[in-house]
Amino acid sequence: MGFIREITKNRQLYVLAIPGMVFLALFSYIPMFGHLIAFERFQPVKGLFKSKWVGLDNFKFFFGGQDWLRVTFNTVYLNLLFLIFGIGIALILAIMINEASSVILKKISQSLIFLPYFISWLVVSLMMLAFMSSDGLLNQWLQQIGIHEINWYQSTKLWPFILTAVYVWKFSGYFSVIFMAAIVGISSEYYESARIDGATRLQQIIHITIPSIRSVIVVLMLLGVGRIFFGDFGMIYGIIGDNSILFPTTDVIDTYSFRALRQLGNFGMSSAVVLYQSVMGLVTILLFNRLAAKIDPDSKLF
Amino acid sequence: MRAKKGIVVALTLLLLVSMLAACSSNKNVEPSAATNADGASTGEQAKLDPVTLKIMVPGDRPKDFDAVLAEAEKRMADTINVKLDVVFVPWADLAQKTQVTLSSGEAIDLIFDAPWLHLTQQIAAGSYEPLDDLLQQYGPNILKNRPQEMWDANKFDGKIMGIPNGITFVQGRVYYVRKDLREQLGIAPIKTYDDLIKFAYAVKEKVPNVTPMVPAGQDVKKGLSEGAFRHYWADNTENITPSPALSESLILYTKNNDGKIYNLFDQMEPMVWSWIENARKLYQDKIISQDVLAIKDESELAKQGKVAILPNNEFGVKSDIQQALKSVNPDAEFEAVTLMNQEKGAILTNALQYNFISVPSVSKHKERAIQFLDWANQKDNYDLLAYGIKDQNWEAIGDDQYKFIGSGYTWFPYVWIWNPTTDRQDAAQDDLTKQLNQWGADVTNFTMDKLAGFTFDNTAVVNEISQYVSIESKYYTALFNGVVAPDEHWAKFKAEAAPLAKKIQTELQKQIDAFLAAK
Repeated sequence: MGFIREITKNRQLYVLAIPGMVFLALFSYIPMFGHLIAFERFQPVKGLFKSKWVGLDNFKFFFGGQDWLRVTFNTVYLNLLFLIFGIGIALILAIMINEASSVILKKISQSLIFLPYFISWLVVSLMMLAFMSSDGLLNQWLQQIGIHEINWYQSTKLWPFILTAVYVWKFSGYFSVIFMAAIVGISSEYYESARIDGATRLQQIIHITIPSIRSVIVVLMLLGVGRIFFGDFGMIYGIIGDNSILFPTTDVIDTYSFRALRQLGNFGMSSAVVLYQSVMGLVTILLFNRLAAKIDPDSKLF
Repeated sequence: MRAKKGIVVALTLLLLVSMLAACSSNKNVEPSAATNADGASTGEQAKLDPVTLKIMVPGDRPKDFDAVLAEAEKRMADTINVKLDVVFVPWADLAQKTQVTLSSGEAIDLIFDAPWLHLTQQIAAGSYEPLDDLLQQYGPNILKNRPQEMWDANKFDGKIMGIPNGITFVQGRVYYVRKDLREQLGIAPIKTYDDLIKFAYAVKEKVPNVTPMVPAGQDVKKGLSEGAFRHYWADNTENITPSPALSESLILYTKNNDGKIYNLFDQMEPMVWSWIENARKLYQDKIISQDVLAIKDESELAKQGKVAILPNNEFGVKSDIQQALKSVNPDAEFEAVTLMNQEKGAILTNALQYNFISVPSVSKHKERAIQFLDWANQKDNYDLLAYGIKDQNWEAIGDDQYKFIGSGYTWFPYVWIWNPTTDRQDAAQDDLTKQLNQWGADVTNFTMDKLAGFTFDNTAVVNEISQYVSIESKYYTALFNGVVAPDEHWAKFKAEAAPLAKKIQTELQKQIDAFLAAK
């Protein structure tokens, strides 16, 4: 009864929520039926329910070889690097910009670090090729200062860090804006009383700013963790492409299955991979959410 | 206050209804169009009910395309009465976009497909309508314009599943060579592979800031890897050719036209190994670009004048590359050098064409789609769709050549209507290229491949193929461009991929034996 009374009482508010809920149902819940494709030899003409069921056949190609361990590891490892450095550096940037006293300096630096966010991966990859090719800018500089040139596109071990640097360059501006918005919301009374008590700037940052935006940090982290099994295809494929020398450290689940399936165009197999990623992502986010709830009940997602 | 709340509710509902309406409005159009099509199959002369055909092809929409369409629709108005809705899909999105379109069952009436895209997979998935009967009834010009060999070789399971759009029986394979550099270095025109390599070393030694050779390093273009590209040249006397199962890979291959599938993992072919080792040497001597695997589009570098030699899959030099190069450096010029064996009968052809246009089985206007293509296969109409409006977009030179005026229209007949009978050659090409194109268009210059007309049905080994392909992409282009040490890399490749390749080979051989036995 309480449920119906609640609905009738706040009916206007619930009506307002309908478009959002319809949107969610259309684009998030109904497509979940697509996971069925993972278990059938999907033929578009026959449709979802009349295609032939094949059980776990579609999973064989992915789990049949040894590569799935490597690409799963790469996906998680790269995403962890992105998450930790991306959010960490964004946090530092946000605090630094916030502490800057000149308004003009604040605005300019904010715009400049935000700018890379708008550059497409394709353009980034062309820029990188000009920068890091064997006779590119970077090697020319290295030669000028007397260091032996490096064949960047064949240095497999360096690439997780190069990619992290690119990721930070591209996204830290975006995250720092979120942090800055949270920092602005902190009441200035805290800082005033801290100053009266003689706290230094660093002490204010550590004891007021960071604890106050902790829940924002945790939420961003949790959202990132939820997608930790999904490689950033646009980024990795845009930059690495088919450069097989770099596969050992940069090949992620998405690029791997793209390469395996691009000629076959097999829906079932690609759905199988996506299902694997989704299930693993669900498990990790549940785990981390519980972990977050234990440490700080306010910052859990649900 | 109450009134205000009422307005909010009303607005919200309105928004909702309009959203739902937008979702379903597409579907409402179909039935009426479909009833039109049913009454449409009465022959060409009578004026038919108007039908709009939706056609999906790759490329960019030419500037003057609307004018050409208007003219075409005017010409058709009294007979087949077709309106055209041509959707151009950018090349980069082609595979995905066409795939999604077909699988979502969107009503498309004609669609471009190709063996290198997903033609066989889509046929296997039942996306396309068999065209034999439709062509007999509505497509006399389509049939007449293409020689019988071409029809025979481009059937799938004995049925015509797409109209082949092509004019040659062998694809042109050339190296673009910087003519200006060659002359500057005092080197005679290149006739053999040795000449080419001598030129490359001379460039390396004497011309700074130009990379001697940039083959393709991306897996999708693995046939243009330096080591693999050499199987097109005259010294491949055994006709070593990629197998029908993995169409660009030399790991499974045929030779001597004996109907057998060989496997490099079983026994290394000395000639293929010599190509790999030669590529390794070229890479170590910095003849092949050190970034070959990282470069996504080698023609971009060529346009900037930074490349002396690069491979390409067409006779002659593409005019956009030539023009771009000249705009960077007016003295620079590419010439196309082919090392193919031009003796009569030396090269095998499977007569397989590279471009097709198919009728999706969901189309409601199948008859009309073929009628339209038949109309477009008549010389005058072909000229209109292939070259634009006469004397405005192009001028005719004789009966078989054309010259574009300005850039209002671009050349793309291969996506829907290209055929050897009505085709015109670009008058701007040099004589050698025209001659080579004519050579390639005459089926009597080639020996028929035993496997012509054979298509591989991959359903039995689809898991093996996808696994194999992903492993191969780790090794193939690196190996065939000499980026890695051949022995060590080959051993690793073999250890991972040999069992899968064996399974594919066995299945392929089984199907080929059955095909040859039935012949």
